[in-house]
Amino acid sequence: MSDRIQLATPADRPKAPRADELQLRFSDVAVAELDEIKTHYPDLKSCILPALWIAQREYGGYLTGEAIAEAAHRLNRAYAEVEGVATFYTMFNMAHKPGRHKLELCTCLSCHVCGTYRIRDLIKQKLGIGHGETTADGMFTMEEVECLNACDRAPCMQVGDSYYGPLDEAALDALLDKLRATPESTVIQMADAIVKAHLPAVTK
Amino acid sequence: MAELKVLLEHAENPKYGALDGYLATGGYAGLNKALGMEKQAVIDEIKASGLRGRGGAGFPTWIKWNGLPKEKRGPQYILCNADEGEPGTFKDKLLLERCPFLVVEGMTIAGFATNTDKGYIYIRGEFIDGARAVRSAIDQAYAKGYLGKNIRGSGFDFDLYIHMGAGSYECGEETALMSSLMGERGMPRLKFPHAPLPTVAGAWEKPTVINNVETYSCAPLIIAKGGTWYASMGATTKNSRGTKIFSVCGHVNKPANYEVEFGTTLKELLELAGGIKGGALKFCVPGGSSVPMINADGVNAGVIGYEEMSEVKSMVGSGGCMFFNEHTCVVTYIWRTAVFYANESCGKCTPCREGTKWLVQILERIRSGGGKEGDAELLKDVASQIDGRSFCPLGDAAAWPILAALRVFPEEFDYYIKNGKSMVQGEAQLAMAP
Repeated sequence: MSDRIQLATPADRPKAPRADELQLRFSDVAVAELDEIKTHYPDLKSCILPALWIAQREYGGYLTGEAIAEAAHRLNRAYAEVEGVATFYTMFNMAHKPGRHKLELCTCLSCHVCGTYRIRDLIKQKLGIGHGETTADGMFTMEEVECLNACDRAPCMQVGDSYYGPLDEAALDALLDKLRATPESTVIQMADAIVKAHLPAVTK
Repeated sequence: MAELKVLLEHAENPKYGALDGYLATGGYAGLNKALGMEKQAVIDEIKASGLRGRGGAGFPTWIKWNGLPKEKRGPQYILCNADEGEPGTFKDKLLLERCPFLVVEGMTIAGFATNTDKGYIYIRGEFIDGARAVRSAIDQAYAKGYLGKNIRGSGFDFDLYIHMGAGSYECGEETALMSSLMGERGMPRLKFPHAPLPTVAGAWEKPTVINNVETYSCAPLIIAKGGTWYASMGATTKNSRGTKIFSVCGHVNKPANYEVEFGTTLKELLELAGGIKGGALKFCVPGGSSVPMINADGVNAGVIGYEEMSEVKSMVGSGGCMFFNEHTCVVTYIWRTAVFYANESCGKCTPCREGTKWLVQILERIRSGGGKEGDAELLKDVASQIDGRSFCPLGDAAAWPILAALRVFPEEFDYYIKNGKSMVQGEAQLAMAP
């Protein structure tokens, strides 16, 4: 099978903690956020996606078995159910800690014809990483993603909550320099922005 | 025909995302008017406008709104599909970021007309700027009494929530979106006639209206200015009324969103986008990656309209209009399309889960120079067996581009298979090589 088809491997599967070893790590703020989100839906099951976003933020930008178990525990759902949901969606980082910044390069149609594979090769050349790989210093993870729906800015890349494009070598260099100088993890920042989108400014 | 900015009239106005700025441009006139109307009259106004779903299928909007029970028996929901994922499309992104109040007001009007007090807007996870703009719009609307209890003193209550996706093209399919909203894997659900329509049993098995961002965004303008006004646009077409936003991209000089009246030609649309760059026009995919491609003759003959586009054997789709120049290898383009659908297939049904990957395997064999005689027929055979046999339209969408490419450019496939290389040579082609 083509290496371009993104199939999960057993190594991408998080390991569930034993029930008696589960340690709850959500901060008080996160618990309050989840409590607010619970009021939005008719049942707890519907909170699985927002709860996983909170978990991804609280557990350092990726979903470990512990993160999934905590989300499941707080929603009174089975671990297997929540893991099944988490593994379906590409924006949840499963089991492996991503770099501080995740370069999500669109390689779909418009970006493809506008030269995105040159950008991918430049990233490989400059950082030494290809699809699914992380630099040794833990700074960058690179991922080839499907359409980001910013085809007017092709070739386009998402890092954290921002889109960058159209990219050429100079724009890529400037972006990488900017990211190197950004001490906060844009992966966590993205999860936080998504959690915040659910929450009203003033709790009713 | 030039651009006709109806939805995007104020998209460049930086104050349009704030309630004051929105009100200053006539915002909420639609809701204010609707609140003084009979509920059925609101739906009739939408019917008179001839508005059809802008997400791709072109289903008449009023039928969905009219389908909810007239006597409310329990919870029911208004859903907005803001999970824009169709390659080539970026119109909903613009509407969310620049015109967030239009969709909020449109959903509120839909809630009023259908006697529904709760709505969810399902926004694609990647669209964080859009989600922030909608979040801010919702918060401001609550603060000024345009959402919440007793809206504008009318006695009508409407709560609106944002639900963020997490990366799945499939969730743009309406039943998969409902699965995802309900906290499941984003897989499609059984559809009519094998299951009740969403208007009978949709989200949480309750009556549900689901429309695209652009569709809801039309509603405030239709109510404020009247269905007849809206229907006067696009009157030259058979059955398409109003305007449509096209996301024009690919090999064009000015890739951007262009709002045009139905009845505009594809050629005019290409001219609006500054014409083709890097060479002569070769082919066009006019409505997002799923719709069949057309060659330059088709572009010259193409008129934008739901029925008119079928005359050039394509579709309006979601409005992601990609133009490609003569240096684009059709086989390579189709290979990348096939990879997209193979990656995004949810895995629920066999024709799509297996078939999309077979298509990629055959295309990779051809592209690696190992194409066998009969591979073009094999592609056609596999694609034909996905088309119409998959559980949801994703399978059809994977098959159509390939079937169309084999019909429009058969010689390119034959050349690649016989010679082990592309008919198109040159730098542009090399840049596309993975």
